[in-house]
Amino acid sequence: MKYRIIHTTSYQYSEPASLSQNELFLTPRATDSQQIAESWLSLVPEPQYMHRRIDYFGNIAHVFMVQHPHVELAMTATSVVSTSPPMTHPASETPPWEAVVQRLASHSQGDVQDAYQFVFPSPMIAIGPGIFTYARVSFPPGTPVLCGAMDLMRRIFTEFTYDKSASTVDTSVEHVLASRKGVCQDFSHLAISCLRSLGLAARYVSGYLETTPPPDKPKMVGADASHAWISLFIPDRGWIDLDPTNNILPGEAHITLAWGRDYSDVAPVKGVVMGGGLHTLSVEVDVARL
Amino acid sequence: MSSTNKSGQPRPPQASLFDRAICPVNAYCESFSSPGIPRPHWQGIIAAINGTPTQILKQRQERVKRMRHEDGATYNPFDNADGKGTPWALEMIPLPITAGEWAGLETGLIQRALLLDTILADTYGPQDLLKGGALPAPLVFANPRFLHACHGIQPPANRYLNFYAADLYRGPNGCFRVLHDYSANPAGLGYALENRIVISRMFPELYHQTQIRRLAPFFQTFHNSLVQRSGLQRQDPNIVLLSPGPESPIYFEQALLSRYLGYPLVEGQDLTVRNGKVFLKKLAGLEPVEVIFRQITDSNSDPFALRRNTTTGVAGLIQVAREGNIGIVNPIGSGFLETPVLPVFLPGLCRQLLGQELILESHPAWWCGTAEGQNQVLANLHRLTVHHAFDPSTSIGLPNNFANAIQASPFSIMAKETLQPSAVPAWEEGGVSARHTLMRVFVCATDQGFTVMPGGLAITAQDINTLLGDIPEQLQSKDIWVLSDEPVEHFSMMNGLQTVAEFRRGSDLPSRVADHLLWLGRYLERAEGLIRLLRSVFKRLSGETRPEDIPEMQFLLTLLRAGNTIADPPENQSGGILSEDLGPQLLDGLYLRDRPESVIAILQRVQEAARTVRDRLSPDSWRVINRLDDFGESPDADPLELLDNTLFTLSSFSGLAMESMTRGLGWRFMDMGRRMERALHQIDLLHIGLPWACGPARNTLEALLEVSDSIMTYRARYRTAFQLAPALDLLLMDESNPKSLAFQLSQLSDHVEHLPRQSERRFSSPEERMALEMLTTTRLLDLTGLACPVGGWNNGDTDLFLSNFFETMEKRLKDFGLQISAHYLSRVTATPHFSLLLPDEGVQ
Repeated sequence: MKYRIIHTTSYQYSEPASLSQNELFLTPRATDSQQIAESWLSLVPEPQYMHRRIDYFGNIAHVFMVQHPHVELAMTATSVVSTSPPMTHPASETPPWEAVVQRLASHSQGDVQDAYQFVFPSPMIAIGPGIFTYARVSFPPGTPVLCGAMDLMRRIFTEFTYDKSASTVDTSVEHVLASRKGVCQDFSHLAISCLRSLGLAARYVSGYLETTPPPDKPKMVGADASHAWISLFIPDRGWIDLDPTNNILPGEAHITLAWGRDYSDVAPVKGVVMGGGLHTLSVEVDVARL
Repeated sequence: MSSTNKSGQPRPPQASLFDRAICPVNAYCESFSSPGIPRPHWQGIIAAINGTPTQILKQRQERVKRMRHEDGATYNPFDNADGKGTPWALEMIPLPITAGEWAGLETGLIQRALLLDTILADTYGPQDLLKGGALPAPLVFANPRFLHACHGIQPPANRYLNFYAADLYRGPNGCFRVLHDYSANPAGLGYALENRIVISRMFPELYHQTQIRRLAPFFQTFHNSLVQRSGLQRQDPNIVLLSPGPESPIYFEQALLSRYLGYPLVEGQDLTVRNGKVFLKKLAGLEPVEVIFRQITDSNSDPFALRRNTTTGVAGLIQVAREGNIGIVNPIGSGFLETPVLPVFLPGLCRQLLGQELILESHPAWWCGTAEGQNQVLANLHRLTVHHAFDPSTSIGLPNNFANAIQASPFSIMAKETLQPSAVPAWEEGGVSARHTLMRVFVCATDQGFTVMPGGLAITAQDINTLLGDIPEQLQSKDIWVLSDEPVEHFSMMNGLQTVAEFRRGSDLPSRVADHLLWLGRYLERAEGLIRLLRSVFKRLSGETRPEDIPEMQFLLTLLRAGNTIADPPENQSGGILSEDLGPQLLDGLYLRDRPESVIAILQRVQEAARTVRDRLSPDSWRVINRLDDFGESPDADPLELLDNTLFTLSSFSGLAMESMTRGLGWRFMDMGRRMERALHQIDLLHIGLPWACGPARNTLEALLEVSDSIMTYRARYRTAFQLAPALDLLLMDESNPKSLAFQLSQLSDHVEHLPRQSERRFSSPEERMALEMLTTTRLLDLTGLACPVGGWNNGDTDLFLSNFFETMEKRLKDFGLQISAHYLSRVTATPHFSLLLPDEGVQ
């Protein structure tokens, strides 16, 4: 599938901001099931400083600075991406989860060793006893690891309510577990925390999901939004994505931007501003099929 | 005390002050090889102490404390004048180390620094140790001290560890081991320097007779290597010392190091990032910074990259490092080497990386992340202490739960052997007793490798738990004397301490410093004005006359009330004075800290303002500022005498400032503060005072001249009775009277002409024009024939004419102050507002 994604983030400041710095994870990375035809950033006002790098996890990051007084800042990332269906794995044929834990703990070499870094707690994902208790229900002894993970995803989907008002960027996993409410970021953090509590390797994926309007209505531009899901490592098979917010295994409609240990590694836009008074934020995302 | 007893018999030779300093069982005794037999390298010190009368020793320890206090080494000079709460309070008996033992330590420390540098370079570079399994994966991946954002950043000359400190202890067998490694922002170097300065003055004969290695060469090496490594060629490289600010418990050390090394002391808000480079914000603009000697923690270093809501660090600093545009000592992320469990792996890493055995062993510890380590710990739980492997502040829970904690998360648990540090004799409550000790030693990178400072901070405590608590305010320190078999070279310790570090000396200074100096000037002047006023009141009260019978008393009290120094009288006794109420009210005006305009509150603001620019003040001025503590400590003193003394102290400060501050921008801003305050004060006095002076109460005009500090001038000049027109001329227009309004304005006018400017044209800046306007208005004031209106103040034009003048001038002065801040200081007066913008983009 071929998509054009336009993602615009704008800030309006009540007073002139003298200096703003931002880090963007808005350029999609290439994967086995995703090619990037083109991707560019458009920034208003034009920054005096811009730097692009590949981060520790292989994502593309841009840092830029606007160094003169400004009352608004608009960042638009436009990308054209082709996706293909990821390789599928019959869940029941995946190895028992205990075996995966064993393989990871031996963290011998190559991709298993690389995956091992996603077993540990991270800045936004603590692993408390309550998490482990919740997770183990989906993982009776000998359960094939993907069956367990899909069951966990299903339970989060059915037992938790999508509620934008219940969440901030800093909502903790424990809080989500207690309140049973949240958004895609929270459900992803929760699922990752559960999997890690068992000794499995799971990472956070930031990206977009094409939304389909009801059959009788036209698609509204900007109705889309950025999205987040998770990825589970299975030795000899690689990373398999799961979307706990929608209870599906992502296919062609999921477009990957970046991945990391949690949201804090790959927040699409983060920044610091000096001055500027109060600020208002607006975000518009459009995922259009080409 | 003397060496003879009452009967005139010589004291038995074996009696020694050190008899009470009995080393605990199982602790190596630093000073004695067996009871009563001093180790050879201690003999000189023990003889010197025993040969000095106890009374003199007590005085010396008091002097040690006072010198540290007067140098400002206290945690909080406002609340802890007794020296309590001082980080690593200095105690006078030094800790000597023999040349031979030190040589061994030096070799071990240099090897360890090299090893740690290599590990750090690999961790933030290729990560071969991780991939090969030599460094267990959790040490990197589960470790909050590994900063992902810093991976791949290559420091100047590829040197990661520039400055390193270690806490050593000597075990019961006499061997040294390392208890802690410090790599992010090691503390204590400045205190070690200060200790040496104080102790060498305290025992001059002993210090000069003993061959003690000097500390100064280490600082020279530190600086020269830093300059060379960062490729700084110039004479005056732009190196700054980045401090968390006066709130830091060890701010003193940072100010001292700043002076000594010649690196300007800056805080996060003084620095800004532009175009991928770091700049220092100064009055005339931005000045590039090439190297930062960092005194702030890793996690506070960059609120932008590390997502911290802090103003301590510099937003964007990591990005600048990534671009290779700044040298940071040590690089952000180097706190990785402080990972508590890392020492467990050092012997193996040393063999692998250096092909050598680790010379200086670490304190015995085990990691539960391996089966072997876990078994070892579980089998010996009763004699080990259990800790978090990565974060010492994280609690592991109760001892009966250790086994569970280990099962749940083995990789995050470690255990350590119980510590048995050596004991040293220490002066305590008039005698010598034994205390446990650690030794903090310092290492810096050179172009060839590393060098160790021959000396350091001996950190002592009565019990081991306090020692391990690592709270500097609860610990004492000693000077470490590294003995030499050869004569030592003489270096002056003090040369570096007398000047203020500035990039281009005198030409410019950070905006924040200018702001603080301006306020220091204002508070100093405010304190002087208030004290002079109160002194006039107390002088009158000390006579026989009842307050209600002193004609000008009402006027003076009105001034105090207008300034909110004393409370307004209750309504029913409008204006009347009851002597029984007055006493407590005046005492409140002196001592009540909650009253913002009491003397003590203003003096406290003087001290606080001085503290924020401590690195700008000469040691002498700083001592004078600390003397202001005396005010709060003498609540029973005679108020008149106390006010006189305090005024004298303030004048000493002003005198020192006049004498010792170069006439640079710093002095100009401080003096501008003074002039603005004095001008406002003078206007206030006259505005309030003139109606009284023209009223029925006698002596008011005289009192007005007295509190304006102009009575001597008046008498000398006019030799007449007190009359309105000449008095006003003296107080307002006489530019030769340093207390007149015109004098203040002409000084202000001169100052603003000399501030950094965009245009060379005179009077091109608004503040110049404003100052000139005020000065001209005052000069053109027509006072001819001015007299008190017949029938009271409110019956004539004089009242209206002067009131208008005072109100206009007050407004213009305030506008002038705002203009100065807006032009030169606004970058700091508007508190930097950092908001992390993290859009909530949860969807679907």
